Amino acid sequence: MQTQSIPTTLSSVLRASLFCFALTCSCIAGTSGNFAIAQIDAERVFAAKVEPILTSKCLSCHGEEATKREGGFSVSNRESLVQGGDSGQPSIISGSGLSSPLVLAISRTHDAWSAMPPKESERLNPEEINAIVKWIDAGAPWLDSERMKKIREQMSAETETNDLEATVSLHTSGGTSQSWSNRLYKRSDVWAYQPLSRPTIAQDGPKAIDELIALRMPQGLEQAPAAKASDFIRRATLDLTGLPPTAQEIEVFEHQYLVDPDKSVSTLVDRLLASPHYGERMAQHWLDVVRYADSSGLANDYERGNAWRYRDYVIRSFNTDKPFDQFATEQIAGDEIDPANPEFLIATGFLRMGPWELTGMEVPKVARQRFLDDVTNSVGETFLGHSLQCARCHDHKFDPIPTRDYYSMQAVFATTQFAEREAPFLDWENQSGFDEARFLSRREEDYIATLERLNAIQIEAAEEWFRKEKLPSDDWHRELARLSKLPPSDSAEQTKGRVDTFAKARESLRKKGSGEEHVPPVHIGFGPQEHGHYRLAKKGLERIRWQQDRYLPLAFSVYSGPTPNRKNMLAPPRMPKNPEANAELEQTSILAGGDPFSPAAQVTPGFLSVVSDLGVSMPDSMAGRRTALAQWIVHPANPLTVRVLANRIWMWHFGDAIAGNPNNFGATGKKPTHPELLDWLASKLISNRWSIKSMHRLIMNSQAYRRSCQHPKPSKLLELDPNRSSYAAFKPRRLTAEELRDATLLSTGELNLAIGGIPCRPEINLEAAMQPRQVMGTFAEAWVPNALPHHRNRRSIYTLRLRGIVDPSQEVFNAPAADFSCERRETTLITPQIYSLFHSRQSYLRSLQLARRALGDGSESNHSIVDRLFLFALGRTPDDAERHAAIEHWQNMEKVRALEPIQLEGQPLVIRREAVEENTGEKFQFDEKLYENEEFVADVDIKSCDARTMALAEVALVLFNSNEFIYVY
Amino acid sequence: MFTDPAIATSDSRQHRRSVLYSLGAGLGSIAFSALLAKEQRLFGAQSVNDKLKPHFPNAKAKRCIFLMMEGGPSHIDTFDPKPALKKFHLQEFVREGAQKSAMESGKRYYVESPFRFIKAGQSGADMAENWIHLAKVADELCFFRGCQVDSVNHPTAMYQMNCGNRFGGDPAIGSWVTYGLGAENEDLPGYIVLPEVSYPQGGAANWGNGFLPASHQGTPLRAKGSPILDLSPPPGVAPEHQRKGLDLLRVLNDKHSREHPWHDELSARMQNYELAFRMQMQVPDALDISGETESTRLAYGIGRPETDAFGRKCLLARKLIEKGVRFVQLYQGSWDSHDYLARAHSSLVRSVDQPIAQLIIDLKQRGLLEETLVVWCGEFGRTPDNGVRGGIAYGRDHNPKAMTIWLAGGGCNAGATVGATDELGMTAIEDVHHVRDFHVTLLRLLGLDDNRLTYYHAGRFKQLSQFGGESIAKLIAS
Repeated sequence: MQTQSIPTTLSSVLRASLFCFALTCSCIAGTSGNFAIAQIDAERVFAAKVEPILTSKCLSCHGEEATKREGGFSVSNRESLVQGGDSGQPSIISGSGLSSPLVLAISRTHDAWSAMPPKESERLNPEEINAIVKWIDAGAPWLDSERMKKIREQMSAETETNDLEATVSLHTSGGTSQSWSNRLYKRSDVWAYQPLSRPTIAQDGPKAIDELIALRMPQGLEQAPAAKASDFIRRATLDLTGLPPTAQEIEVFEHQYLVDPDKSVSTLVDRLLASPHYGERMAQHWLDVVRYADSSGLANDYERGNAWRYRDYVIRSFNTDKPFDQFATEQIAGDEIDPANPEFLIATGFLRMGPWELTGMEVPKVARQRFLDDVTNSVGETFLGHSLQCARCHDHKFDPIPTRDYYSMQAVFATTQFAEREAPFLDWENQSGFDEARFLSRREEDYIATLERLNAIQIEAAEEWFRKEKLPSDDWHRELARLSKLPPSDSAEQTKGRVDTFAKARESLRKKGSGEEHVPPVHIGFGPQEHGHYRLAKKGLERIRWQQDRYLPLAFSVYSGPTPNRKNMLAPPRMPKNPEANAELEQTSILAGGDPFSPAAQVTPGFLSVVSDLGVSMPDSMAGRRTALAQWIVHPANPLTVRVLANRIWMWHFGDAIAGNPNNFGATGKKPTHPELLDWLASKLISNRWSIKSMHRLIMNSQAYRRSCQHPKPSKLLELDPNRSSYAAFKPRRLTAEELRDATLLSTGELNLAIGGIPCRPEINLEAAMQPRQVMGTFAEAWVPNALPHHRNRRSIYTLRLRGIVDPSQEVFNAPAADFSCERRETTLITPQIYSLFHSRQSYLRSLQLARRALGDGSESNHSIVDRLFLFALGRTPDDAERHAAIEHWQNMEKVRALEPIQLEGQPLVIRREAVEENTGEKFQFDEKLYENEEFVADVDIKSCDARTMALAEVALVLFNSNEFIYVY
Repeated sequence: MFTDPAIATSDSRQHRRSVLYSLGAGLGSIAFSALLAKEQRLFGAQSVNDKLKPHFPNAKAKRCIFLMMEGGPSHIDTFDPKPALKKFHLQEFVREGAQKSAMESGKRYYVESPFRFIKAGQSGADMAENWIHLAKVADELCFFRGCQVDSVNHPTAMYQMNCGNRFGGDPAIGSWVTYGLGAENEDLPGYIVLPEVSYPQGGAANWGNGFLPASHQGTPLRAKGSPILDLSPPPGVAPEHQRKGLDLLRVLNDKHSREHPWHDELSARMQNYELAFRMQMQVPDALDISGETESTRLAYGIGRPETDAFGRKCLLARKLIEKGVRFVQLYQGSWDSHDYLARAHSSLVRSVDQPIAQLIIDLKQRGLLEETLVVWCGEFGRTPDNGVRGGIAYGRDHNPKAMTIWLAGGGCNAGATVGATDELGMTAIEDVHHVRDFHVTLLRLLGLDDNRLTYYHAGRFKQLSQFGGESIAKLIAS
């Protein structure tokens, strides 16, 4: 070894690791000193390290082709490396690794050689640099692909299966280059593709979990005792239902816990699993992953009127403990398996959850490709723990996923087409509140009236125009007369015809051959005001067509067939009468650089080839592709799906997943902290027939889940488990945005606990609600809350989720945007949370309601009223100091409020809007009427609140803002 | 041996911020970001508002004012004259090809520019003659005609111009800049957006922090109403009442903390309330322009109906820059003139011409121009031809292949016109660069290296240019 000759320019870090590397290599080679062995050693270094580095980090700019040869330098073969680039110097000096310019460049230590690779994020680590130095030192042997394959196979065979640092080769359908196909992977990076291991453990059930956690417990680290009963019931109830326990539930549980802790816990878990709110809580987790929203996003953000039925389908599925394999299959291929079952059609809404639209501005093929990329990636993230999009433009840089596999998976969806399909409402679907459609109708009438008014203006202006231009107008009048006699009709098309006689007449004269100069100009009679109103009405009618779908027995669904030729999608698509007509069967090809106009090799539908053949055959026919994909995904021998699910369920309880990136089990995702536990849980899932409720029982009855957050020796915990991954103590968490809102409404007694139904619209910050919002060419309507309190004060999961407008009070508490899959909720602490919770109208409304609830008829003592206030908000009574402080604040504020009551804004009936009109660049105004607000019933009539109530509300506000209210232990 | 990519980064920013991973990134669109800085101190993490060293210490620009002309201004009718269009005026032209959209199908007509052009300044910059005021500072401007983008659709093009990624969700330029340089004033957000009353297409994601920590989110100061939502409590609630409430909150939280002494978030959250309480009084002061002299206000066009709105924004931008805000983005639109080009563009130019010119003059007089990079652009340019949407062809379509961007101050190559479009203005043909190169150049002018300004997210290091790009040397003063 030549480690002696390190020049002083290299850092000591590099030196130290060179030494380590020397040791490692001599281990591989077995002996040293023999030249042949040294040669093989160097070849191995080349195969294992150097070649992959050159390929992944250098070749894209220093390739073989002249156009890819920056600085005239190529790393594609040994000759060009020796030859060097434009500098005229060789890049490698055989036998002298450390003085070779290649090494000077990659070690970024030499001024004369630019740092390579240029991106800091791609710089080589000392170990990698080291490998290259050693390889050059040993004469820089190059391997042809046959020799490379042989050496790699040898190395792969030699590795011990339990050596995570060891490298292995994996079989796939093959990359775009031989070297990619032959490359080696660190075993620890490809853990997810290995079959489930069966750890040998002494116990079963919840105790097995504790045994497997103990296996990885840092030595000498104590475990926290069990949590207090009151903490535990709050933890378990929020975990399984998203709602806090009532004071009474806490008290009952505390008694039961005293008698028999184990039994009381298991009884509690069973009770919670049977609650209909269990499904709501689990559905929220699922909807985060699949990016649920009630609108399309992008330029138009059209409503997806029937998406709510998918949301309720998810809730139902969890509540009935639908086996996950079935749940997954229905979502991927429900329409193929049983199109007569509305539930199965609704389930496939999953495939369309991403943001998507097709406007006339976009190239249809590009938009279609956006869907295909989206759904391929979404299926990968949701079920397989793989963000597949990296393989869209090239073979995956880190994971064994060739771009061919990406497009094979995508080919599964090449026959997936959108349709809002007929699906009669099911008995268990909540169909209440449909009469709100009347507010849409009033808006629709307004828009039609606007168009009629504008039409009249144009017709009048046209008369003037004919007079002025001295042109004959007989044809024009004949045409207008014909159009005005058409019978009125309900259909949107004909309605449009009725209010657009000017445009229609113009169009038919043009069709009959009149030149542009013989018909009145298209925008005649229009100023900025008219232009603005015209667009608003046109687009408004268009938007209403999407909104009206909410109340129709339709499923936001798909069918298998050829791709319809569509230029835009301005109305919700229905099931075509003849799916084959005016449609084209897509043939999927690998797309160079992901560009739909650069198809390369054709592919057939298929699976990820790195997962060993599971015996599922994939048809090439129009239908059945997704069914086969679903079978493959939920196949018990597919190691990805079941691990992904077990990992998610664990995170839903502990806040952290075992493998820290539930959507990314690849090399760049966090590695499992407790791999044996993950595999054991996954095996259990399969042996329990994919029952998710059985997993909650296992997990929640374990000691690990029941532990206190208070570790007996916090400093020891910090020292021995700095990453907090030992589960020696439970980790507290903050309420999610939805839990915070629901818990507040529950404490005031206002929460409507009904399950399912059309989306509700709570009151949100008024300025955000009225914020003008641009949609293609004009403005979207304001956020208008439901008129009645019990309609709007529903659980947060039922809130209308529009991609284009968010409830700021939810957003500040990390409710995720629906554009990307959310694998895990973030918890940030930012100041706008305080403005929202301590200042907002919503918070004051809730505080008043809590005050009113605690006051009752107001006849009791201040002492008991304040006690009740605490009981409702925090599930406990105050201690003396708290009570004293609360009463004092109450009394002080009562004096203030008697003189100066709190004022809260009401809901407006009309908003006057001013905007720049895009045709003219000039300002125009319009009035937006908020019809539903005419019937608005306030949560509380502020004028009827006396000073005493308002003052108590200030105490309530403080309780809602307290740390105790927002944290779970 | 194998290093976790989340830690194995060379840039100090990543190391110093690694603690922030635990705080999480990726909040939506509301954060009043600077306030977070102090909270992070409470957690013992590095404050985001500390000044960070730029990668290129010699760079002149320390901050940026970004004038976003939403809707796509026509280069052909503003800064890139195309006299050849005259002879094709209203001649028909049919576009074909698999890549056409519905918008592009059918009959189209060439349209000459309704504007006369002049050569402005000593540099002889091309300008439509209705840029009366801007012409006076022509020599401060550096025009770039070589930029191309990928999208013909507004929201996706806006996302690409603002965040590098067409589909949104990535951090905006301002987020990257505050992430790279920090802010100079910890009482104000480092990245402030002055939107129109109505948000642009694509909404608040145009100034989102993406995967960067929430503190780097653009803070929109709303054009009407409360500049920050719920900054003030409801009428009737005075600060002294709130003070009493906070005192009660402290009693409750103190008791709770005694029960959970190891839970360090608790005290941070309590201190956050105190901070918010102080800030709610300071923010309105920062936004008040009533203290400016009458002549300053007049010079910006404040008080005249056509220039009032943008004049206020420009003056406020200058004030914010003076107070140490790193990145201010101003929106004006919509420039989407498919019809009535002459009227629409005239009115739009009139509303920004004087305010922008005055901003440049004012910055220069105060010695701030050299340190302040001013950028003017839209999300794309427009076509020399138009569809018959209006029945007459006097408008222009979206054009991702040609546009004009100009820079001023901040070490840009003032007086230069870089790049060129073809005879009709359809496509850039000289110094053609994808918008990613423009982004790299902006960062370069601000002293930041796009290849080193990275953040690890979803399995890879991400950067503004997405995959890296090159700096456009001609846009930078030598």
